[in-house]
Amino acid sequence: MTELLQNLIDGLGRGSIYALLALGVAVVFGVMHLLNFAHGEMITVAGYVAFWTIGTNDWSWWLVVPLIVLSAIATSLVIERIAFSRVRGASDFTLLLTSFGVHFVVSAIFLLYVSASVKTFPRPTWVANTYSVRSLNIEVFDTVVIGVTLVTLIATTLLLQRTMFGLSLRAAAADFDTARLMGVKSDSVIRGAFALSGLLAGIAGVFWLMRAGSTTPTAGIDPMLKGVLAALIGGLGSLRGAVIGGFALGLAEVLLRSRLPDSVASLTEGVVFLLIALLFIFRPQGLITVAHAERV
Amino acid sequence: MKLRLVVTLLAVFGLIAAACGDSSESSGGSGGGSGGGLDIDAILGADLADCADAPSGDPIKVGMAMDFSDVVGFVDIPGSNLVPYVAELANCSGGINGRPIEVRVAEVGDDAALATAELLDWGAHFLIGPPFADFALPILQTTEGKVPLFVAASTEPTLADAAINSYLVTFDDHQMSGAAAQWALDEGITRAIVFTEGEGIPYTGVNPDAFIAAFEAGGGEVVSIQTYVWAADTDFSAQVNEIAGISENNEVVFSAALGFQVTALRGQLEGQGLDALTYIGTDALDATGIQVEANNEGIAHTPHTSISAGDRIDSLLAGYEAAKGEALESRGFMALYVDSMFVGIQGMLDCDCNDSEKIGEAVKVISGFQGLSGEITYDGTNGIPPKAVPINRIVDGEDVLVATIG
Repeated sequence: MTELLQNLIDGLGRGSIYALLALGVAVVFGVMHLLNFAHGEMITVAGYVAFWTIGTNDWSWWLVVPLIVLSAIATSLVIERIAFSRVRGASDFTLLLTSFGVHFVVSAIFLLYVSASVKTFPRPTWVANTYSVRSLNIEVFDTVVIGVTLVTLIATTLLLQRTMFGLSLRAAAADFDTARLMGVKSDSVIRGAFALSGLLAGIAGVFWLMRAGSTTPTAGIDPMLKGVLAALIGGLGSLRGAVIGGFALGLAEVLLRSRLPDSVASLTEGVVFLLIALLFIFRPQGLITVAHAERV
Repeated sequence: MKLRLVVTLLAVFGLIAAACGDSSESSGGSGGGSGGGLDIDAILGADLADCADAPSGDPIKVGMAMDFSDVVGFVDIPGSNLVPYVAELANCSGGINGRPIEVRVAEVGDDAALATAELLDWGAHFLIGPPFADFALPILQTTEGKVPLFVAASTEPTLADAAINSYLVTFDDHQMSGAAAQWALDEGITRAIVFTEGEGIPYTGVNPDAFIAAFEAGGGEVVSIQTYVWAADTDFSAQVNEIAGISENNEVVFSAALGFQVTALRGQLEGQGLDALTYIGTDALDATGIQVEANNEGIAHTPHTSISAGDRIDSLLAGYEAAKGEALESRGFMALYVDSMFVGIQGMLDCDCNDSEKIGEAVKVISGFQGLSGEITYDGTNGIPPKAVPINRIVDGEDVLVATIG
């Protein structure tokens, strides 16, 4: 029982990061129908920011955290400006391919002009600290991640529910063309969506990088996969579903790795994907069904 | 609906796919053969500002099929920079028996066979290739086993096969992880925790397999085998919870994981109060810079060369930096690339020929070649030189040689 509770806490900690990533994917999908496979590049860039500041110049994490978040927002906006704004209105498949292209270009830039090697930087000293509650040893890191994620989710909900920007974003997500006819400025709402997506990726990136303590030119692939996968599990376009999908994925990973017999424990990742494939067979729309007006 | 199905299928397919020694003190040269030896010290001591007359004989052509991607670019990129520099030094010192060395580098990209064909068309006498079967096997298929291939930075035993002219230049996974197990036993440690990606998986599973076999054969007990995802996992919460329930805080923790993974794992284990464990890993720790990681004190690893200030490898790398204005990464692997070239040339000298098949026959019987990375012998082997394995450890912040096994 103790181990199960421990696993649940670990899974929630891991799932919190996935939820933030998935939410960022879902926000952009909502307004552009773009499944952004370049979403991880914000973390790639943030990783090198951490390397150059913490790793080579001994900056404090406290100083670097806002830089990481800002770099993720800036990267998201730059990618939108340089790549996605050029193909706005193109087919969904074109958008998808463009996002793949952005991913490869960003990776290649770091590969060519920085290094193919792993670049490391010190993790904060408290990351591995634990505290005890009865028989549970809980990581401070997990507690912080879960707490910050909850605050971020509440703030995002308020932003979407209580502000004009949020109203525009939700209107655009429901029916982009009608929203434009009603006076919503498409440029503003799309850039706003990318900025919000970058902000969420930046917050997730802070925790991802605190754990990893390293970066490479392809460091964004793993977080991108987790984010996209969680968004798919939850139901593409559903913000609530993305969050649920993130937590579900995190819990599934931790519980499977812990509960599978030793002889097949190395198949954990495979089993996760098998479960997801089964989910898609029975609910192709994901856990949450989203009604969209299709653009024609 | 259609869109979501297409996107879902694309994503699922994409995601499933994604889931998926000592420096010698002598001056080099071969113990056998008819063509004489290489004077490695003379080559490395050449002064590029004061060269001998340019050699004018038929060039010795060295082909390098290298991967510049993030997969093995961390060794192949610096390796493919260093080898031409050493060729420059050799030519500066008068060449090899009056013959200049020419080096051509072809990036394997997505088509190692094409890069190999380019090098063979150019007339390469022998090839230096990237580690990992994904790259090396297409090269061997293209050469049809007729051109010697030195898989410079690889420890993968399945890539060595003298019958088809494929050679490792260093010890293989079994020697490396067997040495790690022996070192742990020599330290008096009798219990081990092993991290693996799965039995039999190249490198990430074969090394743990070899460690377990050697550790148990030496009387040790493996108390826990944990799985992880190589080069990705940095959250080991599930594994740490399980280990915390069985550890006596006196085990050796072995894996073929990368530096940042081992330090992450160590941090989490120490967070659970397991602060007296001993950590040892493979050459992956050297490749990923365990020397500069935080929380690395006491971690041991098995580099290919243990470099100390002022030794031949250190001097060569310093000379490169001074000449080219940039430091090379993955320093511990660099001597393997240089030795790949030297041992190929030694084969040419031994057979006194330019024919690749005959060069291969000569390489097969090379014995006692004193290279930059240690002694290399292929005679009587299947292409894996039986080299001693250095054990380095981070002591007081310095990466120092603490033992040599074999």
